[in-house]
Amino acid sequence: MTLPTRNLQLALRRADFRSVPEMLDYAAQGQTGVTFYSVRGEILSALPWREIRERAQVTARRLIGAGFAPGERILVTADTWPGFFDAFFGAQYAGLLPVPVSVPVGIGGKDAYLDQLRRQLAASGAVAAIGIEDLAGFLADAAGQFPAVRLHGGMSVVDALPEKQVALRPLGPADLCYIQFSSGSTRHPHGVQITQAALMANLAGITGPAGLEVVPGDRAASWLPLYHDMGLIGFLMAPLSTQLSLDYLTPRDFARRPTQWLNLISKNRGTIAYSPSFGYDLATRRASNQPDDLDLSCWRHAGIGGDMIRPDVLDRFATTFEKSGFDRKAFIPSYGMAEVCLAITFSPHGTGVRTDTMTTDGGRRTRRFVLCGKVLPGHRLEVRDEAGQVLGEREVGRIFVAGPSVMPGYYGEPEASREVLVDGWLDTGDLGYTLDGEVVVTGRAKDLIIVNGRNIWPQDIEWAIETRRVVKNGDSVAFSVDGPDSEDGGERVVVAVLARVSGEEGRQTLASDVAQAVREAIAVDCDVVLVPPSMGLPTTSSGKLSRSRAKANYLAGLYAPPKGADKTAAA
Amino acid sequence: MRTAHQLTVENDGIADTLTLTRGISRAEVISEICAHLEPYQTGEKPITGETVIAKDLTIDSLAIMDMVMELEDRFDVSIPMSVIAEIHTVDQLADTIRDLRTQA
Repeated sequence: MTLPTRNLQLALRRADFRSVPEMLDYAAQGQTGVTFYSVRGEILSALPWREIRERAQVTARRLIGAGFAPGERILVTADTWPGFFDAFFGAQYAGLLPVPVSVPVGIGGKDAYLDQLRRQLAASGAVAAIGIEDLAGFLADAAGQFPAVRLHGGMSVVDALPEKQVALRPLGPADLCYIQFSSGSTRHPHGVQITQAALMANLAGITGPAGLEVVPGDRAASWLPLYHDMGLIGFLMAPLSTQLSLDYLTPRDFARRPTQWLNLISKNRGTIAYSPSFGYDLATRRASNQPDDLDLSCWRHAGIGGDMIRPDVLDRFATTFEKSGFDRKAFIPSYGMAEVCLAITFSPHGTGVRTDTMTTDGGRRTRRFVLCGKVLPGHRLEVRDEAGQVLGEREVGRIFVAGPSVMPGYYGEPEASREVLVDGWLDTGDLGYTLDGEVVVTGRAKDLIIVNGRNIWPQDIEWAIETRRVVKNGDSVAFSVDGPDSEDGGERVVVAVLARVSGEEGRQTLASDVAQAVREAIAVDCDVVLVPPSMGLPTTSSGKLSRSRAKANYLAGLYAPPKGADKTAAA
Repeated sequence: MRTAHQLTVENDGIADTLTLTRGISRAEVISEICAHLEPYQTGEKPITGETVIAKDLTIDSLAIMDMVMELEDRFDVSIPMSVIAEIHTVDQLADTIRDLRTQA
């Protein structure tokens, strides 16, 4: 049974609610809902919003009956499965705060995952830890050293609680909604406090005319993980706030068969779907088994967000799927982060990917960046220099945003919150510039390398090495450390490369090739450190190379310079 | 983004076209795993049952997941994520696949 795309009786309301329980109460009056699909495209379960609400209220009565107090936190593994909905929305009706966390990925990842769970339990002060049955053992392991955790296990431990006849305690407009762990912070996780009010403001922006302008007949499809803001807010909260039907594939199944995502859009006549650039790349690379009847002409908003937007990748996707009716003007480059719930800017409808070419590095190089649109109504965006002065058009600086979507701070971390929030302005930590009122993101501020007053993008260094085919894409990472004369603010460039060579001679050749490539392309000297492939280069939880973690590893002495190198790492 | 680049492209439909009997020899599973891992062999050290996949080879985590998915398709099993998280060696991976096939 496929859930209907339109509600026949219920009028579409566009995110004009005051809380998540209010949104779900309204959507439950219609026939639309959420369908979970298998990797082969079979329906695993189809839950109308009405049923999601009923199940959530049963869960809520169980949690209240078990004695959980208002405002307590419940950690829940955010796999794409109906149990996550029971836990997440159950908490909303029970006055509790869900803390969605990721599921383990990769072989041998148990210890790292348990470590992550413990850090998240500590950071959120959670009193319960629940997930899919398969993870019950891990949750028990992690919760073992937290006496505050009174309930842990698979969703069955919640279902086993008696449903008592107690009054619901729905979270209201003045309450928090949930705690969002942002990406790239496994070591010191910061839990963003998502408030009901900020979420409602952001949803109004996402679904309104400056955002995706949701209309009756829209239908969403998603493979994005629900522990990520783009998955949870973009592809659960936003469709719920507009009573859409929604079709899900798990992230794991998307990685296995990316074309299944496109099939869902085609078969259900989906109109809204998002992915970071790499998802479009993956779908393009595996397009060989593109079904003949694939029809993507229905897809009116193909959003991109979550990583640096790569116009070349999107161009290849559009060219590949044009014959299946894909319209490249459907692309909507977007910009945002968990600290503002999700979205800050959307590029205008019907324009596709537009780029601006900037001369960087004192005129030595040109780079193409994607225009991401204007800041949402009711919000402000400024680009400032290091001294805090607002910069003019096409001047690169740090991006700051203010407005009703901005978080009140990180949960239980006033100091970390003060570092990024000043006078209502959020320091996004991103670099960029404005052009005709639109924002152009160029990179992360903290990654920027400054040598002798020259701004150097680490991406440029990595790109130089890769294009000279010294090492392959993703095998090098560049960062800077304070030079020996750190009082003059001098920085030294360090490039860490994966040494996929054997023998001392091979290693030395590689190091000198890298240094040569950087010198030739960027005209800067660098120290090269070789990293054993078994150690790998650090990545963020979303799979991007983490330059800051590479730098931390380097400073901690984890990377050794090659023997006989003319320069050695500073002691 | 390193993510997509390092996932190898293979025939997605392989499980649909192969018909398999449930019983399978351990050697068969190991040889299939080794075929996947060969490109990532380092130096002269041969790949054996004791090879620690994420450590002794140059394979990255995404390519490992890709391999696991292909093995799941090839042998028509689904390895629970908690079990995957506890696998380190080629032997452990082979035993897991064989056990799942026997149970199915």
